[in-house]
Order: sequence, then structure tokens, then C-alpha cells
Amino acid sequence: MKRKIKNISVLSLLMVFTFISCTDDLNITPNDNQTVLSEELFENESAYERVIAGVYSNLALTGTDGPGTSNIEGIDAGTSQFGRVLLYMQTLSADQMIWSYENDPGTREIQRNIWTAQNPLILGMFSRTHLTIALANNFLRETTADKLDSRGVSENIRQDIVEYRAEARLLRALSYYYMMDLFGKANFSTEATPLNETLPVYDRAQLFEFVESELLEIESDLVDSGANQYGRADKGVAYMVLAKIYLNAEVYLGQGQGQYDKCLTYCQKLLDANYMLATEYRHNFLADNNMNSATNEIIFPIISDGFSTQNFGPTTVMINGSVGSIEANGVEVGVTEGGWGGALRVRREFAELWQGGDFIDDDRNTIISNDRSIVITDISDSDTGYIIQKYANVTSNGTPGTDQTLVDTDFPLFRLADVYLMYAEAVLRQEGMANSTAVDLINALRTRANNPNLISSNELTLPFILDERSRELHWEAHRRQDLIRFGLYTGGNYNWAWKGNGSNGIAIPANLNVYPIPSLSISSNPNLTQNPGY
Amino acid sequence: MKTFLNSLLLLTFLIPAVFFGQTQVSGTVTDEANALPLPGVNIVIKGTTTGASTDFDGNYTLTVSDGDVVVFSYVGYTTKEVTYTGQSPFNVTLAEDASQLDEVVLIGYGTTTKKDATGSIEAVTSEDFTRGNIVTPENLLQGRVAGVSVTTSGAPGSGSEIKIRGGSSINASNNPLIVIDGLPITNDNVGGSRGILASINPNDIDSFTILKDASATAIYGSRASNGVIIIVTKKGKSEFSADYDLQYTFGENANQIDVFSADAFADLVNSQNLPPSFISQLGDANTNWQDEIFRTTVSSLHNVTLRGALFDVVPARFSFGVTDQEGALITSEFERRNLSLALNPTLFDNHLKINVNTNLSFEDNRFADTGQIGAALGYDPTQPVYDPDSPFGGFYEHRNGDVLLLGGNNPVASLLQTNNIGDSQRFFGNLNFDYKFHFLPDMKFVLNLGYDQTEGFVTNNSVFATNDDVSANKSVSFQNRTNQSLDGFLNYKKTFGDIGTDFTAGYSYQKFTNDGYFTGNQFDPISVGDTFADPDIVLIGFFGRANFTFFDKYLMTATYRRDGTSRFSEENRWGDFYAGALAWQISDEDFLKDSKTISNLKLRVGYGITGQQEIPALDLFLNRYRSGNENSQYQFGNAIVQSLIPSEINPDLKWEETATIEVGIDYGLFNDRVTGSLNVFQKDSEDLLFDAPVPDGSNFSNRVLQNIGNLRIQGIEFTTNVDVISKEDLSLNFNFNATFLDREITELAFGQDVTTGGIAGGTGNFIQLFREGEAPNSFYVFKQLQDAQGNYIEGAYADLNGDNIINDEDRYLKADPDADVILGFQSNLEYKNFDFSFNLRANIGNYVYNNVNSSRAQYDLLQSNSVLGNIPTSVLDTNFQTTSDVIISDVYVENASFLRMDNITLGYTFKELSKVIKSVRLWGGVQNVFVITEYSGLDPEVFNGIDNTIYPRPRNILLGANIKF
Repeated sequence: MKRKIKNISVLSLLMVFTFISCTDDLNITPNDNQTVLSEELFENESAYERVIAGVYSNLALTGTDGPGTSNIEGIDAGTSQFGRVLLYMQTLSADQMIWSYENDPGTREIQRNIWTAQNPLILGMFSRTHLTIALANNFLRETTADKLDSRGVSENIRQDIVEYRAEARLLRALSYYYMMDLFGKANFSTEATPLNETLPVYDRAQLFEFVESELLEIESDLVDSGANQYGRADKGVAYMVLAKIYLNAEVYLGQGQGQYDKCLTYCQKLLDANYMLATEYRHNFLADNNMNSATNEIIFPIISDGFSTQNFGPTTVMINGSVGSIEANGVEVGVTEGGWGGALRVRREFAELWQGGDFIDDDRNTIISNDRSIVITDISDSDTGYIIQKYANVTSNGTPGTDQTLVDTDFPLFRLADVYLMYAEAVLRQEGMANSTAVDLINALRTRANNPNLISSNELTLPFILDERSRELHWEAHRRQDLIRFGLYTGGNYNWAWKGNGSNGIAIPANLNVYPIPSLSISSNPNLTQNPGY
Repeated sequence: MKTFLNSLLLLTFLIPAVFFGQTQVSGTVTDEANALPLPGVNIVIKGTTTGASTDFDGNYTLTVSDGDVVVFSYVGYTTKEVTYTGQSPFNVTLAEDASQLDEVVLIGYGTTTKKDATGSIEAVTSEDFTRGNIVTPENLLQGRVAGVSVTTSGAPGSGSEIKIRGGSSINASNNPLIVIDGLPITNDNVGGSRGILASINPNDIDSFTILKDASATAIYGSRASNGVIIIVTKKGKSEFSADYDLQYTFGENANQIDVFSADAFADLVNSQNLPPSFISQLGDANTNWQDEIFRTTVSSLHNVTLRGALFDVVPARFSFGVTDQEGALITSEFERRNLSLALNPTLFDNHLKINVNTNLSFEDNRFADTGQIGAALGYDPTQPVYDPDSPFGGFYEHRNGDVLLLGGNNPVASLLQTNNIGDSQRFFGNLNFDYKFHFLPDMKFVLNLGYDQTEGFVTNNSVFATNDDVSANKSVSFQNRTNQSLDGFLNYKKTFGDIGTDFTAGYSYQKFTNDGYFTGNQFDPISVGDTFADPDIVLIGFFGRANFTFFDKYLMTATYRRDGTSRFSEENRWGDFYAGALAWQISDEDFLKDSKTISNLKLRVGYGITGQQEIPALDLFLNRYRSGNENSQYQFGNAIVQSLIPSEINPDLKWEETATIEVGIDYGLFNDRVTGSLNVFQKDSEDLLFDAPVPDGSNFSNRVLQNIGNLRIQGIEFTTNVDVISKEDLSLNFNFNATFLDREITELAFGQDVTTGGIAGGTGNFIQLFREGEAPNSFYVFKQLQDAQGNYIEGAYADLNGDNIINDEDRYLKADPDADVILGFQSNLEYKNFDFSFNLRANIGNYVYNNVNSSRAQYDLLQSNSVLGNIPTSVLDTNFQTTSDVIISDVYVENASFLRMDNITLGYTFKELSKVIKSVRLWGGVQNVFVITEYSGLDPEVFNGIDNTIYPRPRNILLGANIKF
């Protein structure tokens, strides 16, 4: 009996030991070749370049596995690409653009200014921009001096990391700038904020202060204007954002709080840098705008490539969309013959900017009118209204891009021509009248566009600047911001076709100067309150 | 012959024994009902330890003296005592025990008898299986067991959702744990196959045992919160028998969503003031697109099962089955071939029982894109299917010359031009050793090794209509899943006087892997392939159980399990799950023992804690980065940079735990003519795992799996089985079960609502909500306003909080998708050689959000991008114009209570036809006979309460034959 008990005990102990040793198997690691553990990743010094590239890529891509994937749950790739939603919110919501397929979720409400907090495009903008902030914070957390010491990172990589860190902070400030402009508030977090916490909310004044102080602090660490690798940001971008916030300070901080002098300072810094206007206007909007003369003018692009950086972003939308339903001019612009069947057209008020004889010869005028009516009475009738042919997926020598739908054309988020116009406007607002530099700058743009009609000093007024900005910078995600600054977006002082859901445009209430915070975002952060009137 | 000679030899040797007053007697024990021999019958001379047992031919030998009382006992049969008075041969017949109390039921890692069971367990055996079109195992269970709901989709061989007592979770899987022959299987599927249970031949299943309450399931610990279904496949028998089953099914769709016919459509379009570029597109054909994409179906099923002793020694079962099912959607096909072999030898004088089960299943599928159903609903009915001038394969497409217009492709063309073939092979099997120790026969050791591997290929060879240069797709995707498990446990069972004890202690290990690749479209130069490999899932558990029986009347069970999972971080990965139960066999008490009315009455009380960790995220707690694939890179200078993005992370993820308390009564009346049970239970789930929103910017996505709150489910289950008539020639029996469930979210983190329920027609919109104090997944909608005549005013909603702004704060909770009451009724009638059965089911109080109407029935949708589109006729009820104005209106949340007859069958059996053919049963039946409901959509049974053009369930007429050799 004793022996039997002994046998049993030995057997059980043996089993127990064998089985306990298997508990190590519970420590699993990722098996997929695209996924890597953080600890392993940073053992290799090349990781830092790739992680900062990941922060940048959130402006161009929506996910890691192709243009249709989205790393933000519940929002599809089509309604959350950063440049695209920015374009919708700044340009589609104003007088320059109209979208024919109003069954596409969210577009009808944006273009008729009747949006609500359930709008998926507004949600895409809010979520996508905050993701850039989260990615930037993550990079900063992983590159503190302590972390780099503990990993024994070599000196020359550390030099690079100084630049990378400044760029991460720049992209974060850029994101807060857009939140300040579009929503007037944001969930605020820095690298010191732990993950998954309920975040405090910053209003416009606080965001302004933060963006300004960040950009001033990082200035010295950034690469010189125009000197950085293609795809990376530099001092030029910082100066641009500063110029923008100072120019719009009255909108963000209140009437009388304008800082046009500071705007001029930073415009000047940009004018003094190495930037130059592209030799031809259209170079900025072609498939090779990362290699042709536009590289001198574009201060910061949102990258796109038909093979390696696939996205349904702003240039994909505009090139495929502006192909006319009657004209079927898709091949000319490097996409399929029919494109998207006439999805994008221009509103009457924009088309009228080109009338009057001064613009018959102007490269910026790409209007195709043929037999079309300038008036759009039924938005779904894509045969009505004029179309334009600004962007194209062909190179400067006419070679089509890599793919017939996903374009190679980068989106020029910031370019030098905008600086010229900002300078002129700041001068007018600051001094009350134009100076010779301002006039020269405007005329330089006209000359570049091969328009022989130059302006004189007394023609340079604020209303003129607003119109000239539209002629130069249309379809580049600036219009709404400009109209708000001029007090013409809300209210009834300037009505455009389909504004406020009226076919000739009607006045819209002032609370529409900021977008509503999306329902989903409010429900996930109890500190967020809805904007007034929504 | 050999056996006979052997017996003769043995007898010769034993003849001397006769001279000592002891006789060596032999005989056969057979079943009284059918004269079949009974193997393994326990024979003991009363008052001694002398005994024997019958072999697989029912024969035995025993040394007896005159006057000895010999006791014959066998599970499931009434024990018989016979006095030896010189019978030679000493043959005995045993009668099946009408009382089912000795019926063996399975519990986790072991068996007990129904009598000794303390938990809420229901067994459904092959006799009880629901008859009808049985293609997958879940069909066998539909409507049979209280608290178990089985919802299938209409796709052929499709997987289904099984829920026991409403599940206990809201996001972590609500699927019960399914254990096949001791191997817990994963609920995840493999591309190429239609569902995890779809590869099992229902004919191979001997029984389902459903463990419902915590005291029964806690021994499975980590995966047991939603109940456990134990499936046992049929074993080998040594008596030779053969079965051939065949079945033919003819099916057609019973219902369609109403859209406008060509004439009505043309009138509508003309009346809506559309621009001329649209009106000019009206054609002059008359096409019902839904009729074009659906067809009537013919399917067949053949199954052969052979049972016998291999080499005369090893009891075995071999079965081979072929199923061929056409789907109602054209081109949809499902074919499965199953091979299964079971060997059940016993060695060392029954001390070592070995069960070897191997199953091979081959599935060939042609998948049809169910998205085309939606496309057919919206396609212009004035256009023809074929167009001989069309450059797109002779099919009509919306085009302008050679240029396709933007607005959807011809659904018939899309289906016919797509060749998506799935090919999967599955091998699963297990090796089970059951060793009764020689030196200590009360103790046994069981070792179970299981292996399950599924490999699936999906090959796509399609062409499609497009303006792009690339108009064909050739791609292959492959997936491989494996599941390995090892269980070992020791079991000690002994009765000390009036106290019976049963101890079990063991260890369990299981590992799942999943990986595969995708080649990308080989005709598209910019398409890239990819590989994927999931992290392993490893589950390890230590478990123990103690059972005590006092005086055969008072029962007590205690179980404990410690489980570790690889899904959570080291601090959170272990969980302790314990349970206890008490039972009182009241009918064995003196005051009830001889009752004529009450033949069985048992009171059970149980409490247990089970865990849940079955979430889609396998390594969410790890700090990971993901690199972009070849199409998702960034550029620095002239070089491509492979960018890295951190993945969302939650290091604090931990077990979801459910505590269940249950009180139940099992009863039997009138000598078990009426049996059943009544259970009352409450389940409290804590740390619910859910994919909840996080503040934008606080993590690397805007939703992350978290432990968010608590859920309480209270319920009452009632079952009754009545043998109304039970005579030789005529028997009628019915089974009725009812379940009442109440689910409520008792706590959420920070008391904050959690949104859920994404819908079509409004990306980013949500229609359901979790809120403290309310049922989970309640519909969160606006209150529609009507005018004086009762017409809906589009976009006008009640300002419920009176602040003059209509926003989310004016939404309210209207109903929820879960039924309050679930009823099932089944009846079997047998008269002479006829048999007739039917099954009814009802759900009461379930609501459904009709997403088909909410996203399609608006006049604006007559314009589908550049072309005309059809819309449901239900638009005439609301006269709504624009989708985004109305998609969150409460008019679309409808009561979907229903009464449904799942199947009705009539059969006739020809008995004793000849020496070779023992019986032939011919039968016919109808499946999905009728549905009575007020719901306006296609089918009121919707997976999660959001109805978006589900695959319609066809009505099937079946004819079949079962031939026994």
C-alpha cells in the first residue's frame, strides 16, 4: 500500500513539474512580420527615422495596409484621410467647389452648410488630427535623454533625433492649429500625459498660446527653411503656421487682437529664405511636383504616390472628381477616361471671378465652360455648372502617373504664393494702405501666371486681396479661413450658390464659424462640451 | 466460430470445478427490447466480490453455486437479480430503465449520472435530434433546449450564433465553449470554410451536453462564462451494422424586399423632377433584379456509416458523408466530404480504454458576394440583364459608349463573373487514454490529446466591369489554423458506506495558432501581397473537483480552477474560478419514495465564478509598432521610408468574471411520463470586456478594448417533456421550453455611456448604447414627430430636453434587440410505422432596427451617383426624401417578435424487409415552414438587432431515406 502511495506521489509530482514548465508559453510575442515589439524595435538605431516617418505618414495615409485600411475604428478610410477632410471642411463648405453625389455620407451637409454633430467627415477630421498629436507625443516619449542614454544611442543619431523631436513638436503644433481653426477647442495632451486618460480641453486662447510658444521654442532646432529632405518639415513650416495664426489672431482671440506686425515678421523670414516661385503655375499641381520647379515653391506637401503612398486623399479626389461628365477629359489629367463622372464642379461665384477680360490669359484660369450653364439649379445634374482642370496626374512633360486612380500628385499644403498674398494683406491691415513690396509681390504672381494685366497700388484693397487669393489658391483648403477672417462666411453679407441650403445662398448663423464637436468624441471625453448653437 | 471453440475449450477446463459444488456457468445477456447482446454488463454474485462482465458479444462465464443470487447491472437498464438454479446457458434479458436517472451525463472532465448531477445540465442525444434539413450540427439543436438559442443565416452551410442564457458578455464573445470529444475548439473560422461547426458531419454526433450554470462550467474556468456544449461523436460497436442516409432538398426564397417594378419606377422617377440627364436613362425593359440573382435550389446529402469490430477485436465506426448544397444566390455552392473513423479498443481486461477519433473534412465552396443582394435592391428595373452591344461581357452596364458611368455594376454580371473558390481541409481528432490503475481500481488516469488543423485556400479568378486598365483579378489567399490540446487528470471514485466520493484533479494546456498569406491581384501592377501571423494563444489551467454523495440523496460538489491566458499581461493573466453546488434528491426521501405522482424531484443550488477572455485582441497589452506595407510608405528625400506606427495598447486588460447563482428543480411525474426542470438564475458579469471609445488623442485609435463595467442577467428557464401517449403502436410526446431573460448593465466606468451599433448609410454613426441601468445594446434614437394627419415630418424630432436645439441630448432609449421571452415547442408522434414531428419557436419582445429601410427608402436615392437607382416601396409609408435627415429616427426601430415553425417532418418506416436490409425509413418534410411577425423586413431573426439585407432564409422541401443494414 505504501509503495502504491509512493508510486502515485512520484507520478503526480512528475506530472506537476512537466506541466508547470509549460507556463512559460504564456509569454507570447507577435509573430507577424509587420509587427514588432517596442523593446526589440529600439535596439536598432534606424528605428527613430522610421517612427518619425510614422508621424508624418498620418497626414498622407489612413492605415498601414493599403489605401482602404483605417487605423481609426468606425471611420472608413474614405472619410478620414487628413488632407481630404481638410479640403472638404475648408473648401467644399464655401464658394469654390461643389460635389455632385450628395448620397456620399456627410458631403451634402458640408456643402450646404447644414451640418450636425453626427457628420462623419467632421468626425474624421477630429479623430485623424488628434491621432497625429498622439503619434507625436509617443515619439517624444521614446526619445527623451534618459531613454536614449539607457539604449546607448550613438552621437550622430542623437543629432538627427534633435531635429526629429523638433519636427514631432511641429506636427503636433500644426494639428492644434487646425483644431483651433476648425473647432475652437481640442483634447489637450503632451508627452507627459499617460495613455488612456481623460483629457483636459483647451479653448482657442489656450491653443493659440500653446501653438505660438511651441513654434518659438523649437525654431532653433529645426532644419533651415527649404533645406530639409523632401517630405520633412523645417523652419519654413513653423514660420508659415506662425504667420497664419498671427494673421487670423482677431478670429481666434477676438476683435482688436490682431497681430499683423508679427505676421509680417514671419512672412519676411519666408521671403528671405531660399524659396522661389515655380517657373510655371501648373507645376505645383502635377504628378512630379516633388521634382519639378515646384520643389522651390512648396513649403510643405501632403505626399501621394500611386504605388508606395496610396491614399484617397485630396489630390486623388480632385483629379478624378473634376473630370467632366460631358467632356470625359480624364486621360488628359492622367486618370481613366470618365474619371468619377463629373463629381466636382465650381460654383457660380468662383467662375465669375474670372470674368471681365483681365483673365483671358492667366494660367490660373483653368475653367472649362463649353455649353455648360454657369448656374447650378440641381446639384445632382453634373452637366450644369463649370468645371476646372487645376490638378493633374501627369508630369510636366505629359507622362501619366503610376496608376489610373491613385495619383502621384502631392497636395501643396503650404506654398510660397500664399506668403506673397499674406504679406500684402498684413500690410494693408497693419498700415491701412499698400506698400510697393506688396504690389510687386501680387504682380509677381500675375507675371508667373503669364497674365499681362498688372495692378497698381490703389487697386490693392482688402476686397481685391480676397478675390486674388481665390484666384491663386483655390482648391487648396484656404477659403473658409479667408472668408471668416473677412467676416463674410457667416451672416448675409456675402451669399454664394447653395450657401445655407438656398440655391442662391442665404445667410447662415454665426455659430457656424466653428464646426460642432462630433457626437462620438463628446461621448468619449466628458470634459468636452459642444460648441454653442449645436 | 472461433469464439465458440474458445468457449468450448474453456468449458472443458472448468468441468472439474463442477465437482466442488461450484458450476462454471455461461450465458448471454441481451436487451429485452431487441434481443441485441449487451457488452460490458456488470455481473456480481450478491454478497460476494465474485463477478464478471460480458464481452462484446454479450457472453460471460461465472462460477456459481446453486442458490446464488446473481445481480446483473448495466447503465441505462434496470438491474436484475436472478437466482441460479441450474440454468444452462444462464441467459438473461435486461430491460431499458424507463427512468433516465441512471443515464450517464457528461460534465467537464468526467461523467456522472443524471441522478448525481448537481448542476444545470441538459443532454440531447441522437434520438432527440431535431429532424429536418440537417447540414450542420447546430441545426440539430434548434429549439430543443431551454435557454439555448441558435440563430443561423441563410447562406448554405453557414455558421450560426449559439447563445446560452443570453450569453454573459457584451463584446467579448457570447459564444459558448464547444468541446468535441474532449478537445475545446476555437470559435474562429478559416477563409475557405463556412464555419467552424460546418465541417462536422451531423451524422457523426452522438450527443450534445449543454452545461448551463456556473457550478457545471466552472471547471472550464477561463472560457466557461457563456456555457459549455460538449459534443460526443459516435463510438465503435462490435456488432456489425451499416447505415445509409440520403436526403434531397428543394428550396426557394419565401420572401423578398419589395422594390418598385419597372412601370411604377418610371412613374416615380418622372414625378420627382429629376434633371433630364437622369430621366433620359430610363430603359424599357422590365427586370426584377432580385429574381435574377436568386434561384431555386437542389441539394443532396449522402451518408454511410459502418460499425463493427475491426479484426474482430477493436470496436470501430467508420463513416463517410457527402453534402452538396446550392445557395439561393446564384453561383453559391457548398460541398463537404467527411470521413471519420473511431476506434475504441479496450486492453488489459478493461483497465485501459483507448478512444481514437479521427475526422477528415474537405470543404469546397464557391462564395457568392452577398453584397450583390444590396446592389440588386438598388438596380434600375427598367434595364435588361443582357445587352449584346455591351463591351462588358455581353451584360448590360450603365455606360456611355465604352465608358462606365459611376453608379454600381450589374449584380448578375458581378456574380457570374466572380469566381471565388474556397477549398479547405480540416483534420481533427483526439487520442484518449482512460487507465484504471491495476493496484487501485478506484483511481483512474485520463489523458486526452487533441489536435485540430484547418487549412483553407481561397482562389479568386474574376473579371469585372471597370474603366480602369485592370479589369481582372487573380489572387490566392491561404490560411492555416491549428489547435493543440493536452488534458490530463486523475480521478478517484469510491463509496465508503453511505458516503460516495469522487475526486478529480488535473491540468490542461491548449495552444492556438493562425497564419496565412495573400498574393494580391496578380493582374494589377500596383497590388501587393502580404503575409500575416497571429500571436499564439496559449491557455493553461489547473483544476480540481470533489463530489460527495450522502445516503444517495444529498449531493455536494465543489470545483476550483486556476487559469492562465496569454492574452493579458503577466500581472493580470491568472484567474481563480471556483464553484460549489448542493443538491437534494427529494424523491428518494421516505415521504416521497413511494409516491405515484412524483417519480423524481431534485432540488439544486449552485454558485460559481467563471471567466471570459475570448476577445479578438491577442496581444493588446504589448507595446507594439506596425510598419506600413509596400503601398503605405512615406518618403524622405528620394528614398522610401518604411514608416512605423504604434498600435493601440491597453496594458491593464484583464479577465471578465461572471458569478452565477442558480436554484433549480428537476422533476419527474407519473413515473417519468412528465419530466423537466425549472431553473432560476442570476449572472453578474464584472469587468466586461468591450471595445469602448477613448478620448481622441489619448491612445493610437479612438476605440480600445477595455474592461468597462458590469452586466446582470436574471432569468427563469422552464422545460417540460411530456409522454402523452406511450403505447406499443402509438406514442405522442412533446417538449416545451420557455426562457425569460432580463439583462441590465449595472455599472459603467465613470457612469459614462458607451456607444455601439454602427450602421450602413451613415459612417461613424451609432444606433445603440450601453447605459447604466438599461438593457445592453438599447437603441438610441430620436423621437419622430408627426403632423395632424399622422404623416411623418421629415427631420422633425421631439425636443426632449426642451432647449430648442435638436442634438444628441434629445435621443432616447427605445427597446433593445434581445427577446424577453423565448419559447420552444416540439412534438413527436409515432403511430405504427409512421412518425410525424414538428418544431415551433417564438421570441417575444425583441426589437430590430430596420437598416434596410433607414438607409435605402428615401427619394434622394433614386439618383445613385450618375445613374438611376431603385428604392424599397416602403418609402411610400414615410415619404422621406433624404437619408441623413432620417437615419436616426425611431420609426425604424420595430417590434420583431415572431412565431416560427422551423420544420415539420413525416416519415414511414418499413421494418424487417429482408435479411440484409433491416429497415428503411422514407420521410419528407418542410423547413422554415412559416413565420408570423409584424416586422416589416425580410426576417425578424437578426444577429445583433441591426437588419441590413441579410441573406434570405429559403423555404426547403426535403425528401429522404434512412436505410439500416
